[in-house]
Amino acid sequence: MSNIVVLDNGGGLIKAGQGGERDPVAVIPNCLYRPLSSKKFLHPSPLDTNTDIDLTSAAVRRPIDRGYLINPELQRDIWSHLFTSILHINPTSSSLLLTEAPMAIPSVQRTTDELVFEDLGFSSLYVANPQSLVHLYEASRQPDSILSQTQCSLVVDCGFSFTHAVPVVHNFTINHAIKRIDLGGKAFTNYLKELVSYRSINVMDETFLMDDAKEKLCFVSLDLLRDLRVARNQNVIKATYVLPDGLTHTKGYVKDSEAANRYLSLGEQQGSTNVGFVGQRKKADMNKNEIDLTNERFLVPETLFQPADLGMNQAGLAECIVRAVSACHSYLQPVLYQSIILTGGSTLFPQLKERLKGELRPLVPDHFDVKITTQEDPILGVWRGGSLLASSPDFESMCVTKAEYEELGSVRCRRRFFH
Amino acid sequence: MEAELVEADIVLPMQLSFKKIQSYEKYPKGQARGRWKHLKQILQAENFQDYPPEEPNYMNIESPPSNQPCKRICDITGYEAPYVDPRTNLRYANTNVFKTVRSLSTEQVHQYLSIRNAAVVLK
Repeated sequence: MSNIVVLDNGGGLIKAGQGGERDPVAVIPNCLYRPLSSKKFLHPSPLDTNTDIDLTSAAVRRPIDRGYLINPELQRDIWSHLFTSILHINPTSSSLLLTEAPMAIPSVQRTTDELVFEDLGFSSLYVANPQSLVHLYEASRQPDSILSQTQCSLVVDCGFSFTHAVPVVHNFTINHAIKRIDLGGKAFTNYLKELVSYRSINVMDETFLMDDAKEKLCFVSLDLLRDLRVARNQNVIKATYVLPDGLTHTKGYVKDSEAANRYLSLGEQQGSTNVGFVGQRKKADMNKNEIDLTNERFLVPETLFQPADLGMNQAGLAECIVRAVSACHSYLQPVLYQSIILTGGSTLFPQLKERLKGELRPLVPDHFDVKITTQEDPILGVWRGGSLLASSPDFESMCVTKAEYEELGSVRCRRRFFH
Repeated sequence: MEAELVEADIVLPMQLSFKKIQSYEKYPKGQARGRWKHLKQILQAENFQDYPPEEPNYMNIESPPSNQPCKRICDITGYEAPYVDPRTNLRYANTNVFKTVRSLSTEQVHQYLSIRNAAVVLK
């Protein structure tokens, strides 16, 4: 059999590589962008290579909206660029393992199949649930844990487009128990943009810049009210992000990053230092090209726990997990609470695990243990699971081949995957 | 099929029996397929209301509203509001705000209420 391409097609990043390997060959943003210096939309370069393209005010086009493929034309562009100039493979002689968000809309599934078989001409396709791949990977990594002994886990996937809480049993997702919050990395960046634009400089067009600021500076607060008070009075939480000036540096960076991470010691102080004076909020200095972030740093990830802050009528992450677990059979519930796996790029916020544990404990019945595990690399977790699945001997028989697709059509082929 | 033929793109368009409209009819050669729809439009076209309610689909896996009581926030100042004015239904934080609440005209009250979707229009 030919080689197997594993493609974790996220809304933010595409992770692509050969099945059976440990790390993907390329991690590239799933978009086309047009910097001010260019007239055409360009393909982004892989993340680990350093380029000096000035992304200030760059326009972005994404093929995926809210997690689902809506622009197949654009996606085909990006994929064919990926296959020909980065992976160097020929689709007609390879099979594809593709990930797709749970409960994808039928018409989206149809366009995906059309894209894979008719436009690109792959010889076979397997569509996997990203969450079950994460389960597969974690189960293989720790063979002695409860997770792999019982083959149950609750995967919390907080990615770019949305957050899912998905119970997985024996590598199958329990579909009726899946819960989704429409919040992800993109919404966080947009919220940060709004807050900063309202308070200091207009950054509404600076998606890449604020993405970077969010990744470097945002954290999850363990005690919201205390941190709000601290942010008002002291400079422990304040951090300065220097905007690019276009001459000496084209990327923003954090000024004094050591001081920016001092908030992590806040837990020990426990509000003992309650300084009486109220720091005057200085007016934004328009000439300096830097922005000060104070309570924005934790208010942005806070929305994941309280979506009501954004005016969304959805329950927060902890409640969402509890609902997902309670929808399962009661025999499964204690096991699921003990094997919660956090994955996806947005779980990289510091202290997210501790906060989630603190919020879950009062909601979960006393006699159940709560145990949350994080992945060593939450962004690549899904891909590694896919790579593992692709190297298993049964993989070939699980795929739908091109001939089968042409005979049966998209809908009947999809039934093969038991989603 | 030989690779050269595929590359030369001179093979006949694919005829797929399961499709009502073949893709070469939908997108004639040389015509850009630029049209794409937003997810909202796709969802509307999908007619989720016709789906059986007990089967999970995109619409009903959404996290339901929280069970916890929502925060009450003063309509005028944005502080936490322990009180509600029974006459206008506005929430307020303290006595000073209450004075302003009572000085508002009916129309202004209505506007404040409509900000948090609480304005009731009787017809």
